[in-house]
Amino acid sequence: MVTALSHYLDSIRDNLRLDPSTEREVISELETHIEDRLQELKDNGLSEEEAASTCVGLLGSAKLVARQIYEAHSQGSWRQALLASAPHLLFGLLFALNWWQGIGWLLVMLALVLATAIYGWWHGKPTWLFPWLGYSLLPVVGAGLLLLYLPKGWSWLAILVYIPLALWFIFSVIVQTIKRDWLQSSLMLFPVPIIIGWFLAVALEGKFPEFSAQRLQDLAPWIGLSFLILAASVAMFIRLRQRWLKVAILVVTGLLTLAMVAYYAGGRLSWPVFLVLILVMFGLFLTPALVERKVRHRWQRPLA
Amino acid sequence: MAPRRELMKINIDSLLLCLISQQPMYGYQIIRELESKSQGYFKLKEGTLYPALHRLERAGLILGKWRLLPNGRYRRYYHITDKGYQALLAKRNQWQDFFTAMNLIIQPASI
Repeated sequence: MVTALSHYLDSIRDNLRLDPSTEREVISELETHIEDRLQELKDNGLSEEEAASTCVGLLGSAKLVARQIYEAHSQGSWRQALLASAPHLLFGLLFALNWWQGIGWLLVMLALVLATAIYGWWHGKPTWLFPWLGYSLLPVVGAGLLLLYLPKGWSWLAILVYIPLALWFIFSVIVQTIKRDWLQSSLMLFPVPIIIGWFLAVALEGKFPEFSAQRLQDLAPWIGLSFLILAASVAMFIRLRQRWLKVAILVVTGLLTLAMVAYYAGGRLSWPVFLVLILVMFGLFLTPALVERKVRHRWQRPLA
Repeated sequence: MAPRRELMKINIDSLLLCLISQQPMYGYQIIRELESKSQGYFKLKEGTLYPALHRLERAGLILGKWRLLPNGRYRRYYHITDKGYQALLAKRNQWQDFFTAMNLIIQPASI
């Protein structure tokens, strides 16, 4: 295919950010359109290069076309919105109804999160998967913290082996997600600063990673409320069409929830810690956007 | 040219539904039909056609189906759905009311 048209289709592909099967359909459809138009222009006496350049002109800006097609597909149904916000909702209820004290509920929640994440991962990575995927990484971090309780000597050995493996696993999941769309990665990592904030708020001073059960009990309603806010934000994220609005909803509700955590933490989160958490939040939101170009998979099908 | 493009943008859904209701069509065919049936008046920017088609499909008004051609190539043909027919009827009535009202005011006899 003529280079100008290949570049055009590459540019569309890079900016579509849809699930792989929809992306393939869109590109195949545009390819057949281009083939038809090229043939017609060549039949009218234009050279291959002239026909290609005219064809690109008739199609218009690749970024604009990709953005408009993205917006046609980006709005999820209410069912998808509910499914995407469900893990935040469940975590919210876990604290709001004090279920966090029962190991049975925690195990049920853990099994549900892992099963849903695995199901979504092997079924085309739909948008509703990513909040579940974020929570499914929590046991990996939790298991690392539990290693600190092993007998002395053993704990350091386990940590030296476990930490690189855990980091490799988490980074490979993040990279796979960024390949799909950096914004999904931001959606996946959305609750991380909030969870860290609450963790610091209930942690016992100087006894990391131990926490005060009494403090957790006192803060449980507010922890529940913060997860319910996250659930509402994710539902809005799924229902919005425009990309910039999706980014805005994550940033605004993320900041507000973090401010709520700092307020109810009652002095446990100092200003410097709060500012670091804001930086962590922006880092988690924006780093995927910066690394996207380097890791995004380029799907290409040569033209016949 | 700009007002024509604006009018086209507003009425693109009606135009596409109307063409597809006559027979299943693929993207390139729609552009050619639109141009020939309007005697060259409607020249759609080709890149804007597909977002409109995908939007209509997501709304359940049309349905895209891949069809294998005798030469071994695949083409995506768009079919109108029942919901699409209902939407087209509503849009047609709306347009006729608007056209009648416009004519009552703008027709040469009243100027």
